[in-house]
Amino acid sequence: MPEKKSKMLKATQGLKNAMGRHYLAIEQAYRDGKPTAWATSGCPVELLYAMDVQPMLPENSATISAAQKYSQKFIELAEEEGFSYDMCSYFKTNLGAVMEDVDVYKGGIRKPTFMLSSDVICDTHSHWFQVQAERFGGVPHYIIDVPHVVSNTSKRQLDYFKKYVQEQMWELLDFIETHTGNKIDMEKAREVAANSYELSEVWRDIYELRKNIPSPISTKDTFGGLFPLFTMPGLRSPINLYKRMYREAKTRVDAGQGALENEEFRLMFEGIPFWYQLKYFAMLERFNAIIVYEPYTFAFSKFFSNPFEEFSKERLLKDPIECMSALMLSFWYIFDLETRIKWFKETVKDWKIDGVILHNNVSCRPNTTTFYDLKRRLGEEADIPCLIIDSDQNDPRKFNEVQVTNQIESFIEILRKSKRG
Amino acid sequence: MVKIAYFDADVVSPEEIFMAAGFTPFRLLGNPAIEHDKVNEHVPPTHCVWAKNILEQAIRGLNPEIKGVVTSHGCDCTNREFDIWVESVEIDFLFYLNVPLKRDKIALNFFLNDLKELVYQIEDRFKIKIQPEKIKEAIKLNNQIRKLLKEISEYRTKMILKGSEFHELVKLSQTNDKKKVLDILKKKLMELKNKTRFTEKKMKRILLTGSIIDDTEFLIFLEDKGFQVVADDLCIGSRYFWNTIEEDKDPIVAIAEYHLSKPLYSTKMPSYDRFEFLKFLAEKYEVDGIMNIAMKFCEPMLYDHPYMNKKFKELKIPYIFIEMSYNREQYKQLSTRFEAFAEMI
Ligand code: SF4
Ligand code: SF4
Repeated sequence: MPEKKSKMLKATQGLKNAMGRHYLAIEQAYRDGKPTAWATSGCPVELLYAMDVQPMLPENSATISAAQKYSQKFIELAEEEGFSYDMCSYFKTNLGAVMEDVDVYKGGIRKPTFMLSSDVICDTHSHWFQVQAERFGGVPHYIIDVPHVVSNTSKRQLDYFKKYVQEQMWELLDFIETHTGNKIDMEKAREVAANSYELSEVWRDIYELRKNIPSPISTKDTFGGLFPLFTMPGLRSPINLYKRMYREAKTRVDAGQGALENEEFRLMFEGIPFWYQLKYFAMLERFNAIIVYEPYTFAFSKFFSNPFEEFSKERLLKDPIECMSALMLSFWYIFDLETRIKWFKETVKDWKIDGVILHNNVSCRPNTTTFYDLKRRLGEEADIPCLIIDSDQNDPRKFNEVQVTNQIESFIEILRKSKRG
Repeated sequence: MVKIAYFDADVVSPEEIFMAAGFTPFRLLGNPAIEHDKVNEHVPPTHCVWAKNILEQAIRGLNPEIKGVVTSHGCDCTNREFDIWVESVEIDFLFYLNVPLKRDKIALNFFLNDLKELVYQIEDRFKIKIQPEKIKEAIKLNNQIRKLLKEISEYRTKMILKGSEFHELVKLSQTNDKKKVLDILKKKLMELKNKTRFTEKKMKRILLTGSIIDDTEFLIFLEDKGFQVVADDLCIGSRYFWNTIEEDKDPIVAIAEYHLSKPLYSTKMPSYDRFEFLKFLAEKYEVDGIMNIAMKFCEPMLYDHPYMNKKFKELKIPYIFIEMSYNREQYKQLSTRFEAFAEMI
């Protein structure tokens, strides 16, 4: 079969610069003696910016290690320290990278002033930071405990869940002040929150464009495109980058151009991609298949991916702390099963998706636990074919390329048949 | 007998509330002898086998005496599997109790709210009223049980009661009518007071810790290898009875405070604090070694192990860590590792 290549947006090239600026800002913070913090995904990174603390996201660093083909080495180093083969590979990559004291371009990350984690996505996050805080000789660590929203959580429960998170948020501000001397400036908090909202909004708009047939962008733009949302929510610079991405994608839509020349199958990909083999996703293009939606990358557009409440800019500006607390309660990546099914069904319809690939990532139990039921229910209720592939986001030892390729080939055959009706 | 069962990675279920509502609290226990036919259709293979085992039993159908199941915040596996319970287990009442990750004042207030919600939902579902006085009575009864278990536990350390027999007693206490349990424990204590050592052989004195261990066969296996469990910090063990609940205050507040102040488990933070209790037990009971047994894929344990290893090395207390699947064949396969440990200490 001839190789086909989807076209990456020119604007996406700017991503490297944006991320480069992020790493420079980190270096600058160390030079200037400015406080720094590690944060796990799902935490309100905006508040760090608002308090003049430079955030660093170890998950982001771990993806760099994988993309640069270092993750396996770091994972094995962590295993030599006694951490099991079965544990989250982001954690082990981060541990190995810190042990080796590598630079940021290999996924290195320095000792911060303090650490901020939460269990909204996984309990793993808090364990991970506890390990690292101790190994650094005792870094202060604040955990935001977020109650788990499950399939039968009631509205009444959500109210006191939110109150709990909000109380911790205020405590967090005190914690930051104690460890950095920096006080919260509400005006700055509003400004940062407004930027974050705008960033989220443009990302949402980019996603909206993917509803078009053919889709103007592929995962070449979104897998990496996610990082500014993750590391720099609250800054101006990524907004401009996303706006450029949007404009270029819109031009393609207006011209009836797709990222892929002959788009035949529109797919959804759930889970974290294999960062050490991103090229692998281009393999789908040989079958004229394109991924047009990933809950994982859309999840970070948090103002527009919350199932329980509407988040307007006005509300956010009125009380950023209240809003940030409410936002923490749920996350597209780990929605409870009922919400997941509902959102998958709507997404499949709105983005005109032909098939769903679920990445049963052995690193990530919280994300994958309900995959089998999700697959069954989607099949029964939306008649949508789903494929589950087993692998790992950062550990190449757990990726069986031949097996996954065979599965995908058979899946495309199923889609082809079902399209022909 | 009507029961409310609890699916608990730790031992944080408020038994006294179930009792006050007229139910017998019943801890769901695994059964290592069953096949996982049904649960494998719901949960991927790299997830905790113990949690899967309980779900397997629940999908097949729990004892009809069980009218409801309460799951507590445990680990990433149990937390997310709750939705599968809602989806595939036929039961009248299912509640997810968000036991907080932390133990401070804010967490306590939140926990109170969640316990009140549990009370509300039980009342609503079963059309009953849970009287505070009844909760207080239940607290008193359970406190007696806790004190008895703590006293009986001392007989393991004197080699008068086998570790495996004690393990059975704790299980019995978590699965039976509490008045009956009280009688059994009282009798047992009387009996033990007149007993002598069960062995003259020098058995290795072990502190057992780790993921949930509910298969008493495992302790019998250890005894065959020459180990006596003289102390533990297990949920089917010391964490169930080490502390008692305050009897003279608002009962829900007392329950919440009790659960957030008793010896900590690896599922709660900062889990490294768990070391302090282990160190205390190891020194108090003059153990020869510590066994940390992790269920395969049990992340909370896997995260804590290297730290525990380091700390016990510093204290020069022999320590062994073993990852184990939930099946009895494993015990035999691991024989040589346990034997080597016995030789070492
Ligand atoms: S991959 Fe999963 S388990 Fe690991 S840090 Fe991310 S969300 Fe947590
Ligand atoms: S054994 Fe570990 S993984 Fe399994 S339910 Fe308990 S805490 Fe969770």
